[in-house]
Amino acid sequence: MSEVRVCVLRIEGTNCEDEMAEAFRMCGAAPEKVHLNQMSGKAPPELRRSIEDYDILALPGGFSAGDYVRAGAIFGARIKSSMGRQLRDFVDSEKPVFGVCNGFQILVELGLLPAAKETMEPSPTAALYNNDSGRFECRPTILRNDSRGRCRLVSQVPSGRTLAIPSAHAEGRLLGMDEDFADRLEDNDQVVFRYVGPEGEKAGYPWNPNGSKSDIAGICNPAGNVLGMMPHPERVMTRFTHADWTRGYTSEDGDGKEIIMSVVKAVKS
Amino acid sequence: MSRDLLRRRNTSFELYDVSVLSAGDSELAEISSTLSLSLSLDEMKVIRTYFTKEGRDPTDIEVQALGQAWSEHCCYKSSKPILKEFVFGIDRDDVLSRGDAGVMVFDDDYGYALRIESHNHPSAIEPYGGAATGIGGILRDVVCMGAQPIGLADPLCFGYPDRKGDLPPGVKHPRYLMGGVVSGIRDYGNRCGIPTITGGFFFDERYTGNCLVNVGCLGIVKRKDLANNFAGGPGEVMILVGGRTGRDGIHGVNFASRDLTETSQDDSRGAVQLGDPITKEPVMHACFEVNEKHLVTGMKDLGGGGLSCVVGEMALAGGCGADVDVDKVPLKESGLAPWEIWVSESQERMMVTCKPDNVAKVLEVFALWDVIATPIAKTTSVQRMRLFMNGEMIFDMDLEFLTGGPVYVRPYALPSVPDGSKEKFPDLPSNKEVILTLLSDPNVASKEWAIRQYDHEVRASTAIHPMVGKMNETGPGDASVLMPVPGKWKGLAAAIGCNPWFTALDPYNGGKSGIDEACRNIVAVGARPNAFTDCLNFGNPERPERLGEMREAVRGIGETAKGLGIPIPSGNVSLYNEAAGGRAILPTPMILACGLIDDVRKAITADLKKEGSCLFLVGSTKREMGGSLLFRKFGGSDGKVPGVDVARAKELMDRLLRAMDSRLVLSCHDCSDGGIAVAVAEMCISGGIGAELDLTAIGGLEEGVKLYSESNTRWIAEVDGKNAEAFSDAMGDGATCIGITKGASLKIKGARTDIPVTELRKAWSDPIWKIMGGAGDE
Repeated sequence: MSEVRVCVLRIEGTNCEDEMAEAFRMCGAAPEKVHLNQMSGKAPPELRRSIEDYDILALPGGFSAGDYVRAGAIFGARIKSSMGRQLRDFVDSEKPVFGVCNGFQILVELGLLPAAKETMEPSPTAALYNNDSGRFECRPTILRNDSRGRCRLVSQVPSGRTLAIPSAHAEGRLLGMDEDFADRLEDNDQVVFRYVGPEGEKAGYPWNPNGSKSDIAGICNPAGNVLGMMPHPERVMTRFTHADWTRGYTSEDGDGKEIIMSVVKAVKS
Repeated sequence: MSRDLLRRRNTSFELYDVSVLSAGDSELAEISSTLSLSLSLDEMKVIRTYFTKEGRDPTDIEVQALGQAWSEHCCYKSSKPILKEFVFGIDRDDVLSRGDAGVMVFDDDYGYALRIESHNHPSAIEPYGGAATGIGGILRDVVCMGAQPIGLADPLCFGYPDRKGDLPPGVKHPRYLMGGVVSGIRDYGNRCGIPTITGGFFFDERYTGNCLVNVGCLGIVKRKDLANNFAGGPGEVMILVGGRTGRDGIHGVNFASRDLTETSQDDSRGAVQLGDPITKEPVMHACFEVNEKHLVTGMKDLGGGGLSCVVGEMALAGGCGADVDVDKVPLKESGLAPWEIWVSESQERMMVTCKPDNVAKVLEVFALWDVIATPIAKTTSVQRMRLFMNGEMIFDMDLEFLTGGPVYVRPYALPSVPDGSKEKFPDLPSNKEVILTLLSDPNVASKEWAIRQYDHEVRASTAIHPMVGKMNETGPGDASVLMPVPGKWKGLAAAIGCNPWFTALDPYNGGKSGIDEACRNIVAVGARPNAFTDCLNFGNPERPERLGEMREAVRGIGETAKGLGIPIPSGNVSLYNEAAGGRAILPTPMILACGLIDDVRKAITADLKKEGSCLFLVGSTKREMGGSLLFRKFGGSDGKVPGVDVARAKELMDRLLRAMDSRLVLSCHDCSDGGIAVAVAEMCISGGIGAELDLTAIGGLEEGVKLYSESNTRWIAEVDGKNAEAFSDAMGDGATCIGITKGASLKIKGARTDIPVTELRKAWSDPIWKIMGGAGDE
């Protein structure tokens, strides 16, 4: 298989692009950090890029454009206006799109998640709302892979497996338009990750750091090639950035590596 | 003004000639006060002499520039002689730069940058904005070394956040200040994507009128990309990048160089700048890019004094002068007078210098990031600063004179220091009550409320976190450790050390204690102390007793650092920290220490790891109760403040680090506030395991001293039973077995003390959440 090319897309305020790129590098892929201006023709010719040239699109965390309005809304709008059609084609071609934290918020703003009706809904059908605590929460969280097979971006994570993946956000509570929103995601096998407690039990606060309904931490689109999640797998690629590794460990690999590796494997050769 | 001391020049912009030459002494004083120059009469006289030689009156922008350059904040006129005597010149081969931030060798390829500074006065007026722009400023200091910021460290001092009763006029409630400052740090640091990895909270009534907001930053830079903070020589172009210039932050340095007053809120609101992290973030990226491509010769941030300081300093240090077109500076609003443009401290601005051939390439990089970049000046071969507005020269001064600034050897009075002979030890309730009381003092209690609002993991390099132990049941850590270079296991540790209560009673030993504590924290995680940066927060240096405190504290810092052979490649002095009415803060020499560890996989945390281990005390406990938390809480007095035997400290650190490197230590915690009792209790809290202490092996002291003395250079180490002998051997005479880990409560033999770990945890965890508002309360 030839080199997997990853576009790590950024604008001002995107601030997890270095570790996102590094995470893909650790999994054997070839990441490139690309500014949106390079996609929209606002850059000198030698710096211009096109989304078709990549196998994976990764949207890293941060506070794109400051997130002074709804998180991810401005970056989402700018992507839509400068490369919306190309992005839809990218998703339609079943290439993997992966968003973490602010990246997840952007995917929701773009209408790429949960995207019940079409690839890219004309307007957002969900939102990542303020945490129940009202605060930014930087803390360890534990995720369980609840995907029943639809999501193609978690193939290396056994079903039901729990992974310690840290969270750091102020707006992570997934809300839909209606009451049975979470049930429909579940029925449709779009729930990929749930927060759980240390023994795998249902997560109360702080194990569910934001109060997200049904403890949902990450979801995919119906086609299974777009994954958004609030916690940060790219922060735990080695055991030694986990919060509690000094209390003992079995592998030097971090729990995030299984996820990033899965995203890379989702590229069709 | 008594007569026409300011003469409006006939220009399309606002410019005045200032009648200095013909002014008498009282008129000179009047000029200084009317123009808010904060210059003394003697300084005004020096200016008069200078312009008499020039044969003309100065313009308002010229005297404004002098007011900036000669402020305490910019030229350290009161502190420089003391710093020179005690802390400058602790040299070592691995100091790479003493620029805007210090830079030390990290490994063969990389250097790490460190710097701490204060943003006290702005934060006392507007806590959110003051703290946020403090973060912005310290990030720029690191960025202009070419270094990627990798960690923030923010020690903060407030009055008690649950303070009851009336506040002095013009003073804001500590809870409000603390909430605002933490929000400011959170929003700026998190948005820029730089983890806040360590810090500290210090609470005392004496900070009520003048809180302290110290902001530290670490960075990492390829040694081949280490940047200069000055121009490469004459004929270069100075490009102003980042934010636009406005009326925010006018006279900030002068505001920082005088005491707060009842009306500072109204008088000085305009001195507080406005921060914008989302302008800053791309500025950083673009600066790194032009630096890595070696397109620029120098970079410097615009902080105190704005353009007036940065242009002069970059030119002078580059051995040249500068011609500046002030009208080219991008503005937030029209109608600013030239002097306002020149001294504004508007945020998110940097200056880069480059050869004329590279200007286009530099501008292209900034354009990609949507960052404004404007050539505004050229460096010249004469050491003069000349400013032009629409082609008209409005400023023409000798650079040496402008940026030199006065130096004062002010009178100081040495404090009288308790020797312990009159010590009054308080009557204590049960150990259980004492320990729970000490754990719940806000100075000791959990700071989780703040720590979890700060992203301390962004950049994915945090190996040892600020809170340690079982997930979501953590306790306090000692130092945080970063892995700054992806793919390498080498670690950079950072921790704060400071004891303002010791320093208030005995400034010399207080200074020494701060260094010792910072080192203890670094060593506790298995890293070797490598460099310090210090933020010296003191009162009004024009009061001899205040200056005496500073001198003694700095002497203690300098002697200790020198004795340990550890340099202080950067630092900051903040004076005039006095509330209205001349009420000084606790003298607060804040130390940020950095340490190196070859392999972070050998790092150690403070949480107890298992039952049945031996607990060792490393170091000696003495009758040193002065300034201790116990005395502050229970009313003891006249105790002796802990000293530091520097040679012994060095020896113990070496031995402990060797033992850790040999994997003999399971957990380790610094022994400080509240002594052995609190240190062990904290280890129980983070490990969720109890301990049984037997302090009989510590001879010659009564129980209360053994448990609560805050003698320096001590740690508690947990050692697996099977390694106890090897550890004892490795430590020589330095370690004493004081108990074992066992059960679910903290027990003290002979004292019938038995406190369940759950009670310890509650006493320690809850207080600040309760005061500041916890989950579910909002």
